Amino acid sequence: MTPRPPRARGVIGLDEAKCTVCMLCVRECPDWCIDIDAHVETLPPDEQNRRPRSVNVLDRFAVDYGLCMYCGICVEVCPFDALHWSPVAEYAEPTRSALVHEGDRLAQWEATAPEPAALDERAVAVDPGPRRRA
Amino acid sequence: MTVLAALEPVAGSSAADAFGLTTVDVDASAWPDAVGVAARAGATYLDFLTAYDDGDRIAVVAHVMTPDAGQRVLLRTWVAADDPELASVTSVHRGADWHERETHEMFGVRFVGHPGLRPLLLPLDVPTTPLRKAVLLDARLAVAWPGDKDPSDSEGRPRRRVPPPGVPADHVPPPRPA
Amino acid sequence: MPVVGEPLAPSPVRLELERGGRRYSLHVLDAGLACCTVEVAAALLDGDAAREPGTLPPAEPGATVDVLVVSGTVSRSLAPVLRRVYEAPPSPPLVVSFGACCASGGPYWDSYSVLPGLDGVLPVDIVVPGCPPPPGALLEALETLAARGAS
Repeated sequence: MTPRPPRARGVIGLDEAKCTVCMLCVRECPDWCIDIDAHVETLPPDEQNRRPRSVNVLDRFAVDYGLCMYCGICVEVCPFDALHWSPVAEYAEPTRSALVHEGDRLAQWEATAPEPAALDERAVAVDPGPRRRA
Repeated sequence: MTVLAALEPVAGSSAADAFGLTTVDVDASAWPDAVGVAARAGATYLDFLTAYDDGDRIAVVAHVMTPDAGQRVLLRTWVAADDPELASVTSVHRGADWHERETHEMFGVRFVGHPGLRPLLLPLDVPTTPLRKAVLLDARLAVAWPGDKDPSDSEGRPRRRVPPPGVPADHVPPPRPA
Repeated sequence: MPVVGEPLAPSPVRLELERGGRRYSLHVLDAGLACCTVEVAAALLDGDAAREPGTLPPAEPGATVDVLVVSGTVSRSLAPVLRRVYEAPPSPPLVVSFGACCASGGPYWDSYSVLPGLDGVLPVDIVVPGCPPPPGALLEALETLAARGAS
């Protein structure tokens, strides 16, 4: 069989640390195959933040790969670059319901996602640093 | 004589060219005449005949071409949406038989003079005329849209709820499973 | 092409697969309904461990059907025909649901004329996700079925 290219689009992984629960991927998915549950928590003031802050906390991020049509709209629309393509395409299951992948499997897929293409040599890469979470 | 020139006597007005295709608007009473005139002028190949829902009226369109595809024109006519009836063009193009059957089952247009206007593609228990804009997709109304949720719901604040495409704004979504 | 009313005569393809050092031979029939069939065809042509890639398998008239691969959108009109294809072989074949349309209706889950998946039409043994899945995904699913059957 012709080998698949290294950046082939097989499955989509989630980098949960980057997800702010903006819900754009859920709303843009044409198949309605992403399901997110979340709630809001209020963080008290600390040395860096003088005021209490509200943050979205992700409770559940699930992708139904039985419905997914691999269009990639969720990957493109995510403003925080939390979703990535992975070339893995062999994950058949005995039942349709087993194709709903929860956060743990989405993290496994994320680990198989290839590194992004190299930046132009004249680009200046700025490391945004770790996000401060609750 | 070109097909467009031959159509001038029966044409009402021509819409602007789009992607090299001229749309010729024809009165519904002159519909089979126009298709016949175009065929006699060389447009003997019927590519497709279909319709679209334009609110209170339905447009029926036929794309006809000369066999070498050198000339092509989109003939268009309009029928009332609440009682869509149009003369069949099967006397000009035998192939219009199936196109008109499909247009009938999808939009409800009755083609007078058609040899056998019965469903072509749809199973019998499907809602009739599914391509009319008033006929909504049941699945989109019955299934809870995941995008209807928002993290701020946990704070109990009311917010504007936007429905997904294909669902009217006043639709009450089904209760979410616990 | 069988005419409606005539008994259906499926012609499966013999496929030799390898997994874990063992060789399996399966007779695979593809109920190719839509685009996913192209990937199944590629798998059946190129995926045989014993044949040169791109060569056609030998004809075996009267061979039984071990695996029925359903690939493509299942329209409601076609469901009874699919059921007859499943019931035609002398013993029930294993069923592979190939692609999003067979799993759930896929992009057409909300259509008025499409079944939201094969559930209710055929008993499915393995569901291959993808739109379309690559040919390798079918071979992997067939190897899983073959190994499962052997154990």
